[in-house]
Amino acid sequence: MVVGALLFTCGVVCMATKRNLLGVLMGVELVLNGANLNFIALGSPYLRSVEGSLGLDGQLIALFVIVLAAAEAAVALAIALNFYNNFQTIDIDHAESLSG
Amino acid sequence: MSSASIIPNLLTLAWLLPLVAFAVICLGCSMVQRRQGQVPYELQRRAGLLSVGAIGAATLLSFIALFVWLGTHEWTGGAHGGELHPNGPPRYYADDWYSLVEIGSLKLTLGYYVDALTVLMFAMVTFIATCVHVYALGYMHDELHEVTDHEVNVRGRHLHRPGRFHRFFQYLSLFSFSMLGIVIAGNLAMVFMFWELVGICSYFLIGFYIERHSASTAANKAFIVNRVGDFGMLIGMMALWASVGTFSFGDIPQGDKVQPGLFSQLRNESNDFALVPTVGFVSPQEESADAKYPGYWLLTIAGIGIFCGCVGKSAQFPLHVWLPDAMEGPTPVSALVHSATMVAAGVYLVGRFYPVFTPEALLVIAYTGCITLFIAATIALTATDIKRVLAYSTVSQLGYMMLALGIGGWVAGMFHLMTHAFFKSLLFLCSGSVIHAVHTNELPLMGGLRKKMPITAYTMLVGCLAIIGAGLPIAGIGLSGYYSKDAIIEQALSFAKLNGPHRVLLLAPVLGAVLTAFYMFRMWYLAFVGPPRDKHRYDHAHESPRVMTVPLLVLAFMAIAAGWNVGPLCITGLLESAQPIGTAVGAKGSLAAALTIPAESLSHAPAIKQQAGLWAFGAAALGVLLATVFYCWKVMNSSEVASTFRPIHRLLLSKWWFDELYDWVFVKPTLAIGLGIAWVDRRMIDGLIHFLARCAKWGAGIVGSIFDVRVIDGAVDGLAALTWGGAGELRKIQTGRLRQYVMFIVLGFLALTFAALGVAFAR
Amino acid sequence: MLTSIIDHLLADTTRISLPLFYPELVLCATIVLMLLVKIFPAGEKLHSFWLALAGSLLALGLCLWRPGLSQLATLERQELFTGMLVFDGLGVFLRTLLLAFLVLFLVLTKLTHLADREDGQDFFSLVLGATLGMCLMVSANHLMTVFLAIEMASVPSYVLAGLVKGRRRASEAALKYAVYGAGAAGVMLYGISLLAGLLGTAHLPTIGDRLIAGQGAAGPGLDSGVLVALALAAIMVLVGLAFKLSAVPFHFWAPDVFEGATAEVGAFLSVASKAAALGLLIRLVAAAVPNDAPTHLIAVDSVRAQLVASSSVELSTFAPHKFLSIALAVIAAVTCTFGNIAAYVQTNIKRMLAYSTIAHAGYLIMPAAAAAQVGGAGMRDPFAAILIYAAIYLFMNLTAFAIVAFLRNSLGSEEIADYAGLWRRSPWVVVAMVVTLFSLVGIPPLAGFNAKFVALYALVAAGGPWMIALVVVACINTVISLVYYLRVAKVMIIDTPTDEAETSPAVSTAAASYLLVTTLPMIILFLFPQRLFALAQAATASLFG
Repeated sequence: MVVGALLFTCGVVCMATKRNLLGVLMGVELVLNGANLNFIALGSPYLRSVEGSLGLDGQLIALFVIVLAAAEAAVALAIALNFYNNFQTIDIDHAESLSG
Repeated sequence: MSSASIIPNLLTLAWLLPLVAFAVICLGCSMVQRRQGQVPYELQRRAGLLSVGAIGAATLLSFIALFVWLGTHEWTGGAHGGELHPNGPPRYYADDWYSLVEIGSLKLTLGYYVDALTVLMFAMVTFIATCVHVYALGYMHDELHEVTDHEVNVRGRHLHRPGRFHRFFQYLSLFSFSMLGIVIAGNLAMVFMFWELVGICSYFLIGFYIERHSASTAANKAFIVNRVGDFGMLIGMMALWASVGTFSFGDIPQGDKVQPGLFSQLRNESNDFALVPTVGFVSPQEESADAKYPGYWLLTIAGIGIFCGCVGKSAQFPLHVWLPDAMEGPTPVSALVHSATMVAAGVYLVGRFYPVFTPEALLVIAYTGCITLFIAATIALTATDIKRVLAYSTVSQLGYMMLALGIGGWVAGMFHLMTHAFFKSLLFLCSGSVIHAVHTNELPLMGGLRKKMPITAYTMLVGCLAIIGAGLPIAGIGLSGYYSKDAIIEQALSFAKLNGPHRVLLLAPVLGAVLTAFYMFRMWYLAFVGPPRDKHRYDHAHESPRVMTVPLLVLAFMAIAAGWNVGPLCITGLLESAQPIGTAVGAKGSLAAALTIPAESLSHAPAIKQQAGLWAFGAAALGVLLATVFYCWKVMNSSEVASTFRPIHRLLLSKWWFDELYDWVFVKPTLAIGLGIAWVDRRMIDGLIHFLARCAKWGAGIVGSIFDVRVIDGAVDGLAALTWGGAGELRKIQTGRLRQYVMFIVLGFLALTFAALGVAFAR
Repeated sequence: MLTSIIDHLLADTTRISLPLFYPELVLCATIVLMLLVKIFPAGEKLHSFWLALAGSLLALGLCLWRPGLSQLATLERQELFTGMLVFDGLGVFLRTLLLAFLVLFLVLTKLTHLADREDGQDFFSLVLGATLGMCLMVSANHLMTVFLAIEMASVPSYVLAGLVKGRRRASEAALKYAVYGAGAAGVMLYGISLLAGLLGTAHLPTIGDRLIAGQGAAGPGLDSGVLVALALAAIMVLVGLAFKLSAVPFHFWAPDVFEGATAEVGAFLSVASKAAALGLLIRLVAAAVPNDAPTHLIAVDSVRAQLVASSSVELSTFAPHKFLSIALAVIAAVTCTFGNIAAYVQTNIKRMLAYSTIAHAGYLIMPAAAAAQVGGAGMRDPFAAILIYAAIYLFMNLTAFAIVAFLRNSLGSEEIADYAGLWRRSPWVVVAMVVTLFSLVGIPPLAGFNAKFVALYALVAAGGPWMIALVVVACINTVISLVYYLRVAKVMIIDTPTDEAETSPAVSTAAASYLLVTTLPMIILFLFPQRLFALAQAATASLFG
């Protein structure tokens, strides 16, 4: 769980501070994986008693989330590519024509 | 369908048909006028035909209803000896169609009350209306092209205006609808409604040539004088409603119960159908004291109040002044409205309301009629306008009817109403025919028209004979007026025998008969006999077209035959079967103890019949003789007689100075008061208001400049500036930088967490 | 053991779950069909629009037919796919709303020629996929489904936002949306993991049970550490929801995305995803706050569910729901105020509508706060208020964005100032716009007034100082919002047009009739709201058995 929390925090910091678009997307992945780790950890029978824990649900949810993260990453990368085509840069600070 | 529903349905349909014609003409022509600027004359002609068709269909339906009635109800036919007429309630159908408004216990409904009198009146009114409509198709043909009105001066030239043919028939249809509404009405409120409606139609019709000052003034006069009478009628209605609680004449079925109407409540079977005031009439003082006749005064006053309305509508003294002026309207209007129908509405209401009149009220009615018939007859002696003669004759004959009703002759009075309708409308239409031919109303400008217009002349002769009551007393046959006038004089004789002090009520009708005969034949001789007094007009005179003469012939036939009993068609018999509840036995006055109103059947006694017949014949013969002496044989000179009796002549010529009297007593003071009030309003009240306005403006200026501008505007502007400023600031938050957005996710989350933790640890 | 599980699963899936899942299945099939048909030369000529329309109409028909809107009140709550989804009145109501909106949206895109023949299938499959995700959102019964459905609804939306190729703004908008959305979803996922882990289950009704049991006198209490973690988890889940709803302070994507994306996509985002998010909000609040809703637990050895009544608890001692209601109230108040004030200075109409969307999200969350405060069966009416508002909001926003789309096609601009003098060119379009604007403000005699009234009434009925304060804030905001809404009307009607010579109508007749269809409900729903009210009440009634 601690590792999961660590990953989560790292991911959030990454998302919030990175200028490079790909770095931001990596941060997103970190966040999702941190949560995944949490799921698995909390589903473990060693954390709590069998009735009180997520059990197999945790593992299954983690599986689904992996797939989902992959799909999201694919889409995000496609959008990043589109962005590059239009702006010729992946510096997200340049994306500020929409403001106010 | 039983006769209970078929007759009312037929009559309702007949009643509504003229309304449909009115609505179609009114709406259709106004639409066309809006689109084309003027209604084409062909369309106007068709409108007239539609109106005629509607009233003709109504006549047909009324006659069918009459025959159905005859077929389904037994009737006492014709004259019979002095046996008593049945005293109970007559056969009638009554029901409510539609409830207009219910305020507390006041229920205003539209309903019908159909008895033999209703059916008869329907037949008569629709028949005469149809004749007049057809006549008007011909008479008003001037309106089918542009009209030059010689009596109106516009900037020094005569008025040119487009024709208004369709408007005339529109108003005629509306009038027919209103009049039939009065006849079929089942309660007093509905009568009042249609009373007013008839008054409005009369206003429109009299003022048809509205550009003429005389015509519009006459229309105003008619309406205002009518309203004076209606004031009394309202008081009577209020008294009745406060005491009895209902306006309906007959008993209205309501579900399984039956709500008793006026007649049933006031004339109960338990009292042998005598008129006994109900509990509602008794005032608190009368309750406690040992009053002799509790509630009687109120009932009498209610009756007199209702009669006031009839005074106005039927042009009785003292509200008779409008009828002669009403001759400004076109002749068909005079024939229909002011001879046969509208003025008869007053008599009809007295007849319908008969069971509620106390003998004292009836006495008042009789005297009013008596005075009226005398005054009108005298004025007619000297009138020179042919229509005015007929107008005063109408007023006089209405006086006859009121007199007859007042002295207990219900059947006689209503009979005279019907016969009078026929011959008076005939007379008016003939006079119209004459006016149409010679283009003048003045008798001194006519003469010798018998040769030029034979049909008109001889039908008018028939009318004159009918009105004087020509007939053979021994044989017992005569024209229609003979029967009805004789009936009145019979009843007067019977009345005088029982009430000595009121003998004048017998002398007046007889004297009136003399005068009637005199002035009617004076008119006929002046118009049709002797050398023509105006050669130019005589040369241009010609007989009227067929569309005008055929109604004359039809009405002449009815004027002759209305009194005859042809099989089941017996007007007297039908009327006797419709004798109102409890009135057949006569009555004794309570407050005026000496008053005895004889039962009508007493007047059928042979002794009375013979005496009355002789008197009537004699009176008529005397009158005709005098007229012939003066105007036909010219043995005596009328102008010499006039100069001999100059004061009387002047009195009669100025119509007893009623118009001037009313002008001085009522009109001028009202105008003066109006002017005075206007002065007060302008000077004082307006001055006060202007002053207040100036003060307010001054105050508002101060308040406005200080308070409004500084404080309120300041606040509003400040608020607006604040909002805009806030918006500008908020805009800066949205920087457009993605990193900042994500940072705000984190910050927002942290803020919420700290808030939650703060709340959690605060507990 | 295995065979019995498989048998049970099979029975549950084929006999119970799938038949109730037909509309979503039809949507799936349509997507697949649309993509496959392009392989064949005959299919290439066919515009995907017709397929999409047919599929969505079929789905809508299926949704209405079985079991039908008329039976909403007596609908038996049924858990589908072993508790992943739930089939109840609320789901049916919102699903119908979403599918109806989908049909209208498809017609709109046809009228504005948004998707051309080559790209049509991409666009429509994205739209249908997003709608599918939203349908799942409103029927979610398991935390995983919640997350899956949110992602399934959001990811296509990221692409839709940037669909118009070659436009810089669109790609920027898509980028911001994607990154922000991914971030918010990640946070939400972490929160879900915490929540599920702490309570030992991801099944929503069971979560509700355990929350109550944990706090009540019966059962083991939750110590303060666990409570803190739970609160953290709940807040994180709220973050995700707030992102979908564009509530402050998670609204930053909204103005940029709305301005960058095309107006039609803006309509889609503002209406459909909001409606779905509201459905989710209702479900989560209903799960978190104690009420007498029966929960069905699927036992392995029986096909039919068992009724397990949840234990009732003294509301006053249950702190979390008070906290929830206050949190929602504060968020709602700040959201609507922020949205209204920030909209003042906007010159781009899409941006202004974005802020308006944010403000209305605030109004929409208010009844949820009331529901959280009231608890128990009294939650029915506030939830019904949300549903009613959502339904009316559908028409309002759809009309507004449709008008913007049509005018963009003919005028080529999305600045408010360029709408000047439109009155002379197309009076009926201006009428539709004015009706929409007045309805958005909430002025009678339009349906927006009904919506606001119902929402505020729920607040007043809940009572309490927070709620009354919220009512006051809402009223002040309504007044504030008048200015920027009516400014548009003023520009359209009173200002002189820049190009005086142009007098042709700005929209085609087909577009005008479409606007008529979407504008009329605003008037009709004001005059005859009873059916809608009854439906909404029936829908929420089924939440509580």
